[in-house]
Amino acid sequence: MTREERLLRAIGLRAEAARRLEGSTAGAVLRSVVEATVALFDAEAASIALYDAVTGRLVFEVAAGEQGQGVIGLSIAPDQGIAGYTFTTGQALAVSDVEHDARFGRATAERTGYVPRSIVAVPLLDDHGTIGVLQVLDKRSAAAFSLRDVELAGVFARQASVAIRASRVERDTAALLVATLRRLAAPGAETTGSPAEAGPAADGDPAADDAAIENLVARATVDLGRDDDSGLWRLADRVARLRDTDPASVDLLADLLDVLVARSERERARRRGRAGGAGRFSALDDDA
Amino acid sequence: MTEPILPAWSEPFVEGRRSALDRLRPISAVDRELVFGGSDGAGVTVAIIDSGVDGAHPAVGGRLVASVKVELGEDGPVVVDDPERLDVVGHGTACAGIIHALAPAADLVSVRVLGPDNRGKGAIFAAGLEWAIEHGATVVNLSLSSRSEALTGAFHELADRAYFANVLLVCAANNVPGPSYPSLFASVVSVAAHDVPDAWTWYYNPRPPVEFGARGVDVEVAWRDGGRIVATGNSFAAPHIAGLAALIRGKHPGASPFEVKTMLAATADR
Repeated sequence: MTREERLLRAIGLRAEAARRLEGSTAGAVLRSVVEATVALFDAEAASIALYDAVTGRLVFEVAAGEQGQGVIGLSIAPDQGIAGYTFTTGQALAVSDVEHDARFGRATAERTGYVPRSIVAVPLLDDHGTIGVLQVLDKRSAAAFSLRDVELAGVFARQASVAIRASRVERDTAALLVATLRRLAAPGAETTGSPAEAGPAADGDPAADDAAIENLVARATVDLGRDDDSGLWRLADRVARLRDTDPASVDLLADLLDVLVARSERERARRRGRAGGAGRFSALDDDA
Repeated sequence: MTEPILPAWSEPFVEGRRSALDRLRPISAVDRELVFGGSDGAGVTVAIIDSGVDGAHPAVGGRLVASVKVELGEDGPVVVDDPERLDVVGHGTACAGIIHALAPAADLVSVRVLGPDNRGKGAIFAAGLEWAIEHGATVVNLSLSSRSEALTGAFHELADRAYFANVLLVCAANNVPGPSYPSLFASVVSVAAHDVPDAWTWYYNPRPPVEFGARGVDVEVAWRDGGRIVATGNSFAAPHIAGLAALIRGKHPGASPFEVKTMLAATADR
């Protein structure tokens, strides 16, 4: 392997680990936002719906509370109902006596099994506009939501927006990796010795370029994502599966991981001492 | 949670904070009788840029004289007649009901800007606003805004055009950080909610961006399918100020937007 290929492999390994754990990062924060919302408002349910540009619909991604689970996975048109209004206009809104609205109640009950009396809906915003809606249903201690509640819900919505933005950065990192691979695969890249100096090919046969890219990517990433007995992937998969576990178990896992990391560092130091200083990609080479 | 939550545009208008609104008033000889006395909004057309208005709802009192909707065509947004007079949400009907309750003789025009498609909604808002300015509305209620940086210039140009065409834009403030247009432009009237259950109580805030506080908490409003609900939000405060502005325009047809704003400020509660 050339130095560039080892570097690519290191990046690829991290990107693959991030990909396996994705869902759990943004998803876990969104879940914790709706759980905190339910707890703070003492509400029957809280949910977050995000706009899906592919289907053009608002999809309920996460929910919490005794009456919240029925909504997960449902989607609505982005101009329908209170969530749709808040999504389209960016205006926060609270309504009560919702059950008097017969059409709302029937349609909602058919889909989620629960008809709320009161709703607060606040927009999730990024720099360009509305990306989703946070809804809170039925505060147990009051018949309606106050102005203060609307603003408080807005604070939770901002937390959720930050989490979503972070997950999009993660996804963009994968795109960056592909772009870097293309640059490296350009003819002449291997001879320049440094990825930073490797410019795109000024000319040349596009078909040959593509073949070179394929070849380089294949060599650098061979077996990266295979479901084999690699300890790293077993660990990544297990951590990903823990996203639905209760907080106590996650704490326990964190403690176990700390022990594992400490042990692994001791082991590595011991081996490094024996080998008289290994290369900087030694850990990755061991894994491959 | 004892720390104030920012940005709380409604914060200056809630109980316990309102004493900070006291100031030396530059205009004291203007009272509500002079500004509103005897007006029912006759001769004034108020446009409601929202989710549509249910013209048959009792709260609208048969005053809906026109309905249009903005659609996104091949070459951008187009304004077409909306014969169904639908309100798929209920929100626009709620705004219409609030305005009609304050200014019962004002004509109402619905500009529906909530389409089933999310593409280019900022452009749809802008097209709806432009149509309202050009079709005889002298008060426009906007309980919505755009954050699109690309459309800032277009909204600014429209807000200026409205101002010089003597069209008063009444915009609900957005309870979110960052810019949102046109509610934060100086030429419009921006409104947040206060918690006094009275349509005839409003406050002027000398510290912008949000200049007025109007009723917006637990308001019983008209909703879709002829129903009513209780609602809270800045988007219900804006139509209260739009209704008052319609009364002022009915009594003082020659008043310019800044004069209407001045009269609203001079007669605000203290």
